[in-house]
Amino acid sequence: MDERDLINRVRAGDGSAERALYDAHVDRVYRLAYRLAGDDALAQDFTQETFIRAFEKLDTFRGDSALSTWLHTITTTVVLNGLRKVKRFHRREADLEAADGVTGGRRESEPDLKVRLREAIDALPQGYRTVFVMHDIEGFTHEEIGVALGVETGTSKAQLSRARAKLRESLADFRGEWIA
Amino acid sequence: MMMDNDEAKFERLLQDAAKTYNVPRPTPREEMWARIKASRVRRPQPWLRWGLAAAAVLLVGIGIGRVTSNQSAGPGTAGATPDTTGSALVYRVAATQYLSRTETFLTGFRADLRAGRVDAFPGQARDLLATSRLLLDSPAADDPRMRALLEDLELVLVQISQMEAGRDRRNADLITQDMDQRNVLPKLRSAIPAGPVPVRTQGAT
Repeated sequence: MDERDLINRVRAGDGSAERALYDAHVDRVYRLAYRLAGDDALAQDFTQETFIRAFEKLDTFRGDSALSTWLHTITTTVVLNGLRKVKRFHRREADLEAADGVTGGRRESEPDLKVRLREAIDALPQGYRTVFVMHDIEGFTHEEIGVALGVETGTSKAQLSRARAKLRESLADFRGEWIA
Repeated sequence: MMMDNDEAKFERLLQDAAKTYNVPRPTPREEMWARIKASRVRRPQPWLRWGLAAAAVLLVGIGIGRVTSNQSAGPGTAGATPDTTGSALVYRVAATQYLSRTETFLTGFRADLRAGRVDAFPGQARDLLATSRLLLDSPAADDPRMRALLEDLELVLVQISQMEAGRDRRNADLITQDMDQRNVLPKLRSAIPAGPVPVRTQGAT
């Protein structure tokens, strides 16, 4: 069955078509949500919310782009909004901890490449991190990223380039050691 | 030449290492599908959702309006008329803020469990619980869907508010399981009107 038929059947209220559409796209949606959220519970929440919204709004899908692209637009919106809320919540908690004089201990052992890279990716500005994760880790094209994030393809390329540069800069002190 | 090789090697190392960033576990298809189905069955159509949200705001507003107009009228002032235009905005802000803050709180609660940071939750849950109970006692709870949502939220917030700081990880896991089983977060999200939500970061009510 082609995608257009599937969409028409979902619009007509066909439950098995809904499941087929979900099965066709859930892996990539969940993977993207997980890569961006870094937490299974949040990734599941975001994935569920993405499909709930998609089924509700399917009537507004005009077919200008592929359904997967449209779904990834919803996914990134849901994930980035959700992460902003979590961040806001953490900031409040951090304020409370600071008021209580609670501070985290410093890491004692020297972190390895993966840990350092993870920290460096986490520290990227949200826009850079999103593009880096989508392109370099999940394999989205710049065109797909541009549509999903509502930016020009050139902007996506520029942000990726800056993200990589920032990562190289953050990890420069380990460079010689790793290559050796 | 050596520099180019080193650069390429470094890039490859970075790319390989990047693949280990937030590696997803296998997609929990059936679990998520069950919750999506349950949520869609319970979730009212968009026009009905807007209607419910508007009704809830209106009803809460009427309740608050009565209190404020009685206070402002004072003893011996007869025939005072509530300022329905101004108070409507206050009611909308109050109700929307409550739902939005509770969603943010519960989302953060779930996210922070893994980090074992649960100490700040009981106090915040108590603040939100007070508001939940005010709403449950208001005409807003006359609507069965809104009442069911408020009762779900009350139950979750009671459990969180009773957690003992730093010693209740297992309890916290049970609370989140309960939230998942009853689809609390999807129901809460569906009750929040779309669009910008007025945000207030301090105070509970």
